[in-house]
Amino acid sequence: MNPFILSILLLSLGLGTTLTFASSHWLLAWMGLEISTLAIIPLMSQHHHPRAVEATTKYFITQAAAAALILFASTTNAWITGQWDINFDLHFFPASMLTMALALKMGLAPVHFWLPEVLQGLDLTTGLILSTWQKLAPFILMCQIMPVNSSLITFLGVTSTLVGGWGGLNQTQLRKILAYSSIAHLGWMILVMQFNQQLALLALIIYIPMTFSTFMIFKTNSSTTVNTLAASWAKTPALTAITPMILLSLGGLPPLSGFMPKWMILQELTKQDIPLTASIAALSALLSLYFYLRVSYAMTLTISPNNLNATTPWRLQTTASTLPLAISATISAMLLPLAPATLALLSL
Amino acid sequence: MAYIMLTLLIGMVLGVISVASNPSPYFAALGLVLVAGVGCVVLMGHGGSFLSLVLFLIYLGGMLVVFAYCAALAAEPYPEAWGEWSVLGSVLGYLLLVVGAGSWFWGGWYEGMWVPVDELIEFSVVVADSGGVALMYSLGGGLLVVSAWVLLLTLLVVLELTRGLARGALRAV
Repeated sequence: MNPFILSILLLSLGLGTTLTFASSHWLLAWMGLEISTLAIIPLMSQHHHPRAVEATTKYFITQAAAAALILFASTTNAWITGQWDINFDLHFFPASMLTMALALKMGLAPVHFWLPEVLQGLDLTTGLILSTWQKLAPFILMCQIMPVNSSLITFLGVTSTLVGGWGGLNQTQLRKILAYSSIAHLGWMILVMQFNQQLALLALIIYIPMTFSTFMIFKTNSSTTVNTLAASWAKTPALTAITPMILLSLGGLPPLSGFMPKWMILQELTKQDIPLTASIAALSALLSLYFYLRVSYAMTLTISPNNLNATTPWRLQTTASTLPLAISATISAMLLPLAPATLALLSL
Repeated sequence: MAYIMLTLLIGMVLGVISVASNPSPYFAALGLVLVAGVGCVVLMGHGGSFLSLVLFLIYLGGMLVVFAYCAALAAEPYPEAWGEWSVLGSVLGYLLLVVGAGSWFWGGWYEGMWVPVDELIEFSVVVADSGGVALMYSLGGGLLVVSAWVLLLTLLVVLELTRGLARGALRAV
């Protein structure tokens, strides 16, 4: 893509999310969301093959519908309560509408159906932007409207963790696996958001490096299916050894960083006296763990046979920077001992 | 006045149903004209005459005309109108939905939202729509810049999406 257009689009993507973060008026927050949607559309369809255009169209329609619903809910709230400030509590009816609209924006179950298909049609870099950056703005708005309609939020959270687990079980395409992983993690964030927004933020802050690492690892291997990952042991043995740590961290296994948010969330849910919800969420994390383990098995725990060309490739020095992946992989695997410091930082 | 508003709002809901029931684009555009026209009159009834004028000019006179020309490029010999069973089923479904929503919201505090009557138009210091435009150019300077940027961004996005003549799914005819 023309570098000027690319930079304008990326800067507008940043502008949109920043506007939503900085806004105290619902209209400005809505504008920020629309700017993000508009800016990412050409990025998604930049390769111009029909699958990418289909993904772009689906993304645009769902995000536009969600944004229209946000606008409608905030206007209804302005009608009923007389003011547009985000900091003031919403009337219950527009609050429920807003919650569903933001759930559609983020890809929470039961309105998650667009996410696997959209992510599947994108290349790994754009999919990364979609999974990480585009989740920030609706997440912040969701944090700011809490507490609202506890049963709806709990329903969204538990359904998302279950759907994220079950839906990902039959997948062989890595992007769809990551989509269901995103749904499950967002479900965990939503569950705790009504009680403690800092823990939801912790979950997001731990989730982003993990997903970033996973996308970068898949990009390094140029693989989009589990089968093609099987050749990774010969191409990049070091990365092949690190990947299970990242994937199991996504699954929430101690002693990796991914355990930190799940542990804190389960503790908070127990403190709030809903141990049944906590148990269901913990059990549904087992489902997700299975498909992360399957990917690790295919990639690392098995040295897959191949012909001579693929088992003895030249391992030349790459021109791409390895620093981002190094940093995010370290964060995703080794942050658990720093849990008290991380929690203390987030309480500010 | 309340009866006029009620009739207009019913017309608007019927127009929305006629668009949402998925007929051929010609008839959907016709439904859109109905919705936009009636919506403009509702807006005028609330004192937003400037906004209503702008909506008519830009939306109906600009965007919908362009859409009609594009729809003409995809013309088909037997377009589905609302009498066709596939569309009529959707129409009846949506009518049922409207009646259901109406019965759900009947009575209680919701009833005040059925037919809003214009409030205090004569006593306003700043008329809502023209005053708002003036405010946007004076106090709302930052928002004006952001809105202008968004318009430029939309132009660049559309140009980037339709760049090239024959690749992808968006091709020149």
